[in-house]
Amino acid sequence: MLYILIAILAGVSIVIARIINANLAKKVGVFEGTFFNYVIGLLFSFIFLLFSKELLQLSKINFSIIPWWAYLGGVIGVIVVVLSNYITPRISSFYLTLLIFVGQFFVGMMIDYIALNLLSIGKIVGGLLVLIGLIYNLLLDKDLKNQEVRS
Amino acid sequence: MDILISACIGPLITIMILFNSTLSQNVGNYNSSVLIHIAGLFPILLILIISKMTIKLHKDIPLYLYSGGAIGVFTVLFSNMSFSALGASITLALGLFGQSAASLVIDHFGLLGMATTPFQKKKLIGLIIIVLGILIMTVF
Repeated sequence: MLYILIAILAGVSIVIARIINANLAKKVGVFEGTFFNYVIGLLFSFIFLLFSKELLQLSKINFSIIPWWAYLGGVIGVIVVVLSNYITPRISSFYLTLLIFVGQFFVGMMIDYIALNLLSIGKIVGGLLVLIGLIYNLLLDKDLKNQEVRS
Repeated sequence: MDILISACIGPLITIMILFNSTLSQNVGNYNSSVLIHIAGLFPILLILIISKMTIKLHKDIPLYLYSGGAIGVFTVLFSNMSFSALGASITLALGLFGQSAASLVIDHFGLLGMATTPFQKKKLIGLIIIVLGILIMTVF
């Protein structure tokens, strides 16, 4: 039950961080905003590391078995933050969430299929239902905006 | 063009999670969080140097605007914690529910400087369909 809450909070934190970063970018610029995002993130990562037990185990890690591309996640993260900073003020957060979901979900299924040869019917049906729910709410937003234009 | 850019963000996030979780499995949650942020700082510094931009601390803007990076650390840690306990698909599905709910609340109250988009009761139907989809994904 605790982990269900943590997983939901992970999603909530994504939306909050995205909006705050975009607001910062509006004030100081997209790249400067990304710079501050990573400096503050690095600082807090260090603080968490200091209070964890992992610091003591640092010498036991075998770095040679880690594939080189595993380090590229941070670089892709920069591209994500720069694109998000640019796009967030231009599009409703609900619309953005929908588009990000579609891309994330279908590429996730492709990776599962290519890497694990896994394609479950439940995931496809469930994913399509999530998509229908999001689109339904999106259409309600559109109706509301049209009414505002008319009145 | 805006829609195309938005559509690119999702696939990039999925690939990023794949890379980050590989690193995390090898060096641990907190070490990988530090390494991920160091790896990210290189391309930013490169861009800043090439475009000859200077970094200065803006003291005239609200302090909370600098907290995005700190909240991002929680995203990484929370994701990793639930990944190890619940597995990838449930973490993704619940995270998406959290994102939708947070977006609706933020849009309704116009929080954090976003435009106010009032919540309609009809949207509960959409949310119920989303939760139903998550349940099907989780059970099957």
